[in-house]
Amino acid sequence: MSFRHLDQYATVPSPMTRTLPTARVLAVVVVAVGTATLPLGAWRHLAVLAAIVVGLVAAAKLPARAVVTRLAGPFVFILLASAALLVLVPGEPLWHMGPVGISKAGVERFGFVLGRASVALTAAVILVSTTSFPELLHALRQLRLPAVVITALGLGYRLLYLLVDEIERLQRAARSRNAAGGAARRRHVLVGIGASAMARAFARGERTHSAMLARGFAGDLPSLTPRHWDLRSSLLLVALSGAVAAVTVAAHLEF
Amino acid sequence: MAHIPDGFLSVPVMAGSATASVAALALAVRRTRRHLEEREAPVLGAATAFVFAAQMLNFPLGAGTSAHLLGGVLVGVILGPWAGMLVMFAVLLVQALLFQDGGIGALGANTLNMAVFGVGGGVLVYRWLLALLGVGLRRRVAAGAAAAFASTMLVGIAAAVELALSGTVPIGPALVAVGGGHVLMGVGEGVITGAILQMVLRGRPELVSGVPEPSRSGRVLAWGFAVAAVVLAVVAGYGASSRPDTLERAIDRLGIARLETSYLTAPFSDYSAPVGGAWLAALVGLVVVFVVAWVVSRLFLRRSPPP
Amino acid sequence: MSLLDVAALEFHYPDGTPALAGVSFVVDRGERVALLGPTGSGKSTVLQHLNGLLVPTAGAVRIDGTLLGAEFLREARRMVGLVFQDPNDQLFLPTLIEDVAFGPLNDGVPADAARRRAEAILEELGLHGFGQRAAHHLSGGERRLAALATVLVSRPALLVLDEPTGDLDARSRRRLVQLLQGREETLLVATHDLEVAGALCDRGIVLYDGAVVADRPLRDLLADLPFLERHGLAAPLAR
Repeated sequence: MSFRHLDQYATVPSPMTRTLPTARVLAVVVVAVGTATLPLGAWRHLAVLAAIVVGLVAAAKLPARAVVTRLAGPFVFILLASAALLVLVPGEPLWHMGPVGISKAGVERFGFVLGRASVALTAAVILVSTTSFPELLHALRQLRLPAVVITALGLGYRLLYLLVDEIERLQRAARSRNAAGGAARRRHVLVGIGASAMARAFARGERTHSAMLARGFAGDLPSLTPRHWDLRSSLLLVALSGAVAAVTVAAHLEF
Repeated sequence: MAHIPDGFLSVPVMAGSATASVAALALAVRRTRRHLEEREAPVLGAATAFVFAAQMLNFPLGAGTSAHLLGGVLVGVILGPWAGMLVMFAVLLVQALLFQDGGIGALGANTLNMAVFGVGGGVLVYRWLLALLGVGLRRRVAAGAAAAFASTMLVGIAAAVELALSGTVPIGPALVAVGGGHVLMGVGEGVITGAILQMVLRGRPELVSGVPEPSRSGRVLAWGFAVAAVVLAVVAGYGASSRPDTLERAIDRLGIARLETSYLTAPFSDYSAPVGGAWLAALVGLVVVFVVAWVVSRLFLRRSPPP
Repeated sequence: MSLLDVAALEFHYPDGTPALAGVSFVVDRGERVALLGPTGSGKSTVLQHLNGLLVPTAGAVRIDGTLLGAEFLREARRMVGLVFQDPNDQLFLPTLIEDVAFGPLNDGVPADAARRRAEAILEELGLHGFGQRAAHHLSGGERRLAALATVLVSRPALLVLDEPTGDLDARSRRRLVQLLQGREETLLVATHDLEVAGALCDRGIVLYDGAVVADRPLRDLLADLPFLERHGLAAPLAR
């Protein structure tokens, strides 16, 4: 799973990107949670939420191809996970082979869980496609997440890139030295790389620390002025939350 | 890809685990504020980057399966359990929001499993083992490796329990499927944690947060605890194997969904549990964990004065 | 009063290895001094004493007459701007604008003013519009300029550079040198690249085995080939 896509968000300006990052984060959280909490069997409500999510995708002017590519990996994972439900859920068997059977209840559950998970997943993809990591960090800061978390992510971001660069360099060097070698040898080399990488990560951390001290660092990462809440962002959030809450609550009440 | 996605957990389990996680993280924030110095900021960043990178690596185990690192015990031993919890949470948060690894709604459960149980529980086991074995370098490495294995198992079992409490999967299959996979991961995690811990302790021992020396009575108690745990495990194992639906009956008594193990008979009733049952179970579980943790830290470790 | 007064500086590493064996020199306002020496001569170690990152085992550093000690540290770090050897070490935040504003924000400059100053210095160094970029999306030359920006934004009186042209290609090197030539700060440049030293500085201090072995006008120094060779500095290669 590549992490470099962290920086390749769709820079297409859209109604979504014009909203405050914090609003986008909250909106996506609301949609994801609302979808995830739908009771099993609430198909109509799921359809409504799916429509809302599709609407958001359109509002973000995301090319369908990009969305599908982002969805693909995680979707396969939840597909496999829900497929397990086909055989694990007991009930009247529709089809069976020996001791393993697929029940009707299993198929229904599989379908619904998959649907629920997919809609929530798409909402999350909207976020990553419209929001860069620095913007996300500003949003988390505005949402008053603990300073330790903000510092860890703020500094960890650059260190991650530098660390991966160093690991790749070490891997290339190792590859050119070890033309042959079985799995055991490869594992040995891997551990060696892991060790060097860790040593370099900490050495770099030390130098970063010196650089931070040299510019007056005293414990907490300072921040530039956050963007202020505007009408559009507030409207987006309130309208969306209301709609999702209505759908989810209705689903629970009707059962 | 191993964190619980959205859509697999029920509302009470999501809410219960989220509440428990928030409580644990709030405590962690309190605890770290006392000790966080400017010296530690880059180490936080390095640890975060490392956990991220480690979780991206897939280790082929053979036969087409692969495992990946969690890194919980490593982070907990180096940064201390509280800062470790917060770093793990930071990683899980970004993974959920930007990588779709783990659902957003499921963040509470994933945090509880990997940050609170994985890091906190892992460090607990580590310190308990050090109380048993002593604090020499080789013992620390062994303790770290064993704690990493235990921590991975904890994560797996917690996830299985959450899935079962949600009514998504019956508890039996959940434990076997999720727990079983985690056994393999646990072995890998243990080996790698041990190897890296050894390197860190040899090369940069000052980076590892100090563990207070256990007192004599503490060591006695640690051994007593170990014996009791073994006895309990044997008894429980015997009980569970001879009465296969004991677990189900226990869950039933708590008022949660009635889960059938037979595929062929009674129609399966969909998730119909009273909301209270699962909440209660989650809260009870968390209280038990915290009580045990408090007892362990009070009994096993003599508080050493700050340097 | 001199801007920088280094007196009998000695330094041992924690494991006992000696690094500096009594380094003394003085830099006045407006001077442009090159600190020359081969790798391992102690150049970086000296530089790290100038803003208190390292504490000497003996000797003293004075900035504008005031002894560099615990109380004077903040002010000293504002007056002495140190640009590290690896620009990646100084670019540790997600975006450039945050990196550049880091220093002023820590000094108590209000957020809006800090942002404006950061944008101004980026503009001045030819990095207009780079504010939202992450450092790993920059070329080597741009990264060095960005690292320079993070230091210049605090308007230091003394600009100290550790191997500023390290891995740069010819064009980026020329661009950086030209930029530095046009600036007003007092300059102390540690380098083993004699061409760069010659282009930027008038005076040369040679460090060898942790001690000062020469402190002369740079023109004289660069003409003394035997001396340069004896002290590990690159003389033209024989064919």
